[in-house]
Amino acid sequence: MSEVLLEINNLCVDYVLPNGIARAVNNVSLSIKKGETLGLAGESGCGKSTLAFSISNLHKAPALISEGEILFQGQDVLKMRPKTLKAYRWNNVSVVFQSAMNSLNPVISIAEQLTDVIRAHTKASAKDAELRAIELLEIVGIHKERLHSFPYQLSGGMRQRVVIAIALALEPELIIMDEPTTALDVVVEREILNQLYELKQTFGFSILFISHDLSLMAEIADRIGVMYAGNLIELGLAKEVFHHPIHPYTKGLVSSFPSIHGPKETLYGIPGSPLNLLDKPQGCDFQARCPDCHHKCQQEVPRLSSDTPDRLVACHNL
Amino acid sequence: MHYIVRQLGFYLTAFLIAISFNFMLPRLMPGDPLDALFSATQGRMDETQMAAIREMYGFMDGSIIEQYLAYLYSIISLDLGPSVLMFPVSVTQVIGQALPWTIFLALGSLIVALIIGISIGTYASYHRSGFFGQVVPPVLAFISNFPYVVTALILFYIFGVQLDILPISYTYDPDLTPGFHWDFILSVIKHAILPMGSMILVGVATWVFNMRNAMINVLGEDYITMAEAKGLSSTRVMTRYAGRNAILPVATAIAMAIGFSFAGSILTEVVFNYQGLGNVLLKGIVARDYPLIQAILLILVVAVLTANFIADLVYVWLDPRISK
Ligand SMILES: Nc1ncnc2c1ncn2[C@@H]1O[C@H](COP(=O)(O)OP(=O)(O)O)[C@@H](O)[C@H]1O
Ligand SMILES: [Mg+2]
Repeated sequence: MSEVLLEINNLCVDYVLPNGIARAVNNVSLSIKKGETLGLAGESGCGKSTLAFSISNLHKAPALISEGEILFQGQDVLKMRPKTLKAYRWNNVSVVFQSAMNSLNPVISIAEQLTDVIRAHTKASAKDAELRAIELLEIVGIHKERLHSFPYQLSGGMRQRVVIAIALALEPELIIMDEPTTALDVVVEREILNQLYELKQTFGFSILFISHDLSLMAEIADRIGVMYAGNLIELGLAKEVFHHPIHPYTKGLVSSFPSIHGPKETLYGIPGSPLNLLDKPQGCDFQARCPDCHHKCQQEVPRLSSDTPDRLVACHNL
Repeated sequence: MHYIVRQLGFYLTAFLIAISFNFMLPRLMPGDPLDALFSATQGRMDETQMAAIREMYGFMDGSIIEQYLAYLYSIISLDLGPSVLMFPVSVTQVIGQALPWTIFLALGSLIVALIIGISIGTYASYHRSGFFGQVVPPVLAFISNFPYVVTALILFYIFGVQLDILPISYTYDPDLTPGFHWDFILSVIKHAILPMGSMILVGVATWVFNMRNAMINVLGEDYITMAEAKGLSSTRVMTRYAGRNAILPVATAIAMAIGFSFAGSILTEVVFNYQGLGNVLLKGIVARDYPLIQAILLILVVAVLTANFIADLVYVWLDPRISK
């Protein structure tokens, strides 16, 4: 068993809103191993980004981490003093945000957005930081001529690469990628994912890869976790989860994506709409949309449990 | 570059329209415009001097085109004729003495108000849940609700009359000879404290709120979250990543404010008997010194247009996306 890098224990994140408290992440426990790619799937609004934000302790009002701990190499991120937290951010964990297109400041040059993070965390001189910036751009396949351009002068795919270059700047142990390619077309997406794979071979970082595209994840992730309404409802080896989903929600999710390679299948997806977090039912959160809902499902919240050591599922119908 | 040339063309056109308007105004007055224009001189000018002014205003024999060209020439050569009020001193001279004080007062207080207001606005919105962010903006909002004259008179009364620690009249001590020596500079500063202070006090709140609104929009952007996730210092995120972008919409408001600050200083100059353009304008109006009034209005137009043009240049420098 390889070493655990990040451990999330019983994490609960609430949005404190005028009309109630929405629990966007509910008692989630997860771990990411060194060098591992962990995929996190689930439909939009299930709490993936909220979970990701917690790992860098980025939440601000109205979000509130009400319970749990996040241990990075044994140190609780949520209890870090501001100075330690600043050093931890990007040095240990960098983030490629969901809207990577908008995560570059439009009026600051690429050069500065690359070098400022280097200079904030290391003693590098302006000159050294710039050399490093050029090196980083070359790593992601961008010509150094582009160093002094502004984000608006680059195409979407290039901007995305720049963001990845920034994420690599301090060679962190973990890179969180929150739907890094959703805004790109399929060809560019492919290119970037291949490149990412190569970079991972070179640098050996772990990735938390967030996407709603399970088929994509089955290809690139080692393990996949599936979230529904803030709960982690299934976790297992990527191929297993994708080819033999157990939870009815995962089954629905798998079938709502056509396989690129396989034969055409009919898509049945998941009936119903996502849960209103302010109005959760008693029992299982998925009951209203579940094809085999029983009496017990309306009474008791299913807990994550396992048949086999590598597979966890939260469902009463095991 | 294209953008700047286009803007320059726009301002030149605006200037031309403004001065043409100035040319037409007396000609649109009912009755004999010349009589209206010069009735105020009350015989203090002789015929040749009157003729000189007429000519300067283009009221000479010849077609309207010729008149217009003569008028343009007198503006370009800054030959605006003698002032009626301070005859035989020329309008150019009267204005030349007053204008620097107004620029000092208007721009000085605007710049200080901008620096204070933008700093407070940036800090208060970035730390909006903290004590500073919760307390300072409402207090400023309260202060700024008083009309300017009330604030100015309160300051006038407290510091100028009751405590009697600051001068309430003149731009410097009349006993001193102007020049580059400490006594004079200190005197100028002392005389500027109340007029400038009153304008700053009233102006600051505007910039705090302008900046705060812009900041609140910017703070929701993804690049701010990314900057925070990068572990940059909060000062850097607040100024370089948030403040830098928030200032863009505020820059437009600043451009407008430069013009208004000249108008605002007119009132201040009257309250604090400060010998700037506003003071001269007031006297000119009372004495119906049309040449002087027209020249001052023209200067206001030029000031506003120039300010706007400078603001455009600054805007291009701030936002590289625009120059395209
Ligand atoms: N700033 C916010 N204020 C209130 N509710 C929010 C906020 N951000 C997210 N949420 C809610 O939290 C839930 C999870 O959102 P998110 O983590 O963005 O989901 P995902 O990334 O899986 O699409 C959603 O129901 C969303 O409406
Ligand atoms: Mg998301």
